[in-house]
Amino acid sequence: MRAIRVIALSTLREALRDKILYLFLGFAVLLLASSKLFGILTVGDQTKIIKDMGLAGIQLFLMLIAVMMSVLLISREIDSRTVYYILAKPVRRWQFLVGKYVGLLATVLVNLVLMSAILVVLVWLYGGGVDPRLLIATAMIGVEMAVLVAFATLFSVLTKPILGSIFTLSVFVVGHVSQDLWLLTRHLPESVGRTVVSALYYVVPNLERFNLKTEVVHGLPIPPEAIVWALVYGIFFTILVLTLACLRFGTRDLQ
Amino acid sequence: MTRNLPTVLAVVLLLIGAVVSENALQEVPREDPLGRRLLYLPSAEMLRLGSLGNPGLVADLVYLWSIQYYSQYRPYERFLYLETVYNLITDLDPLYHDAYRVGALIMQLPTTDEAIHKAAVIRLFDKALRNMPDNHEIAEAAGWDLFIRYRDRAEGIRFFEAATAIPGAPHRLHRFLTRWREEEGAWSVDDAIDYWREVREEARDEFDRLVCDRQIYRLVASRDGELLDPLLSRWQAVNGRCPASWRELVDAGLLGETPLDYFGQPYRIEPETCSAEALDAVRLE
Repeated sequence: MRAIRVIALSTLREALRDKILYLFLGFAVLLLASSKLFGILTVGDQTKIIKDMGLAGIQLFLMLIAVMMSVLLISREIDSRTVYYILAKPVRRWQFLVGKYVGLLATVLVNLVLMSAILVVLVWLYGGGVDPRLLIATAMIGVEMAVLVAFATLFSVLTKPILGSIFTLSVFVVGHVSQDLWLLTRHLPESVGRTVVSALYYVVPNLERFNLKTEVVHGLPIPPEAIVWALVYGIFFTILVLTLACLRFGTRDLQ
Repeated sequence: MTRNLPTVLAVVLLLIGAVVSENALQEVPREDPLGRRLLYLPSAEMLRLGSLGNPGLVADLVYLWSIQYYSQYRPYERFLYLETVYNLITDLDPLYHDAYRVGALIMQLPTTDEAIHKAAVIRLFDKALRNMPDNHEIAEAAGWDLFIRYRDRAEGIRFFEAATAIPGAPHRLHRFLTRWREEEGAWSVDDAIDYWREVREEARDEFDRLVCDRQIYRLVASRDGELLDPLLSRWQAVNGRCPASWRELVDAGLLGETPLDYFGQPYRIEPETCSAEALDAVRLE
């Protein structure tokens, strides 16, 4: 555990040194400027647009962090040869990888907390009151990012950095449209094709399961079991992907 | 610094060139009378897929764009694909209250195709009610729009009926609905009195109760007048003058007792017209 914690902290510190928090500043500026602009352009409830904009912005910026960091996660350690020093100590490969994952996730979550605070304050400033349900939506974005960061970790050990980023981005895109794969299976006749599409649906993460934005923005009820099952789904998927990453990293030639 | 001067000058000149050409382009008339830009709007399904879990945000963006777009074209061009655009927005975000409201308002701007746009307004509000069956505000807005803008009381009544059926609808909707029904002639006076009595029982404050009392008073006076006026005429025909009091009709066996209004006060006999008159006793102030 100690090894994982040390590697995670070091990864977080490294990310902060890389000015990753500038993304948070970018988010704040974007949200403030767009809120002001939309206030001029829109007719009606401005807070609805701020919530939509803010939640989508948080998701987008965190996804960018995951994608960008996946480039650096392992390859930089190999390029700078620090991985050899670390693995020469009593640190197992899987501990190293899980530490990297936790560090990257912590980086994402630090940004998530700061961005969520900005959004809540901005909604309050524009007369939308303090809406604690916004935090439910952002927390679920956090769970979505935990899954995405796991994929980023997997791709960082599977392939080259640039490809890893592209694959992580692809998982994000496919994860948000995979629900339509399921709908597609409902329209396909009973055949091998339908079985293949169904199997594909279960292999690809359905990131829409973590999407509670509409419910939060429109004040709709959120069934507690939807949150609980989404958490279970996220945890299982994350552990599964991390396990695959650890298996691959354990046999990878680091020369 | 001196070495970089030509580069800096070149950058500044290029920037000036870009600004000048952009300004020149703004002056070139580029109307879109056929709404061609709108022809290339993607479907709601495509936009939803492309939004990667943020259809609400895409709905916001199309909504903001539509407000700008429809505020810069001349009226006859303005309405091209209007219903398509607002259907797109409300398909992306079916609970977007402002989009229904503003879309309907734009559709109501005066045009040569009044009937077409009125039908579109009704369709948009019907869609709003299907998607937000608990939202009495949108039903009320629809009722007012149809009544005020198009003088269509029947549609107004339909939307107000939908609004009043929703729990939490303001009491005033019941009042307006009853009045419109009366004016529409769809109800008998007795139906209207019964309805106003029910409305009064549900009233939440003194003002609403007073409004109901006023309506009931007026309706009861109108109903009683239809019964009493023929009796007054009959008495006048026999006696050659209008009776000075109801007692004379009671004595003649035409009435069992002095007729009283909703508040228990006797009606006044107007000697000029020889008819029963209610006192204008109930005022909102």
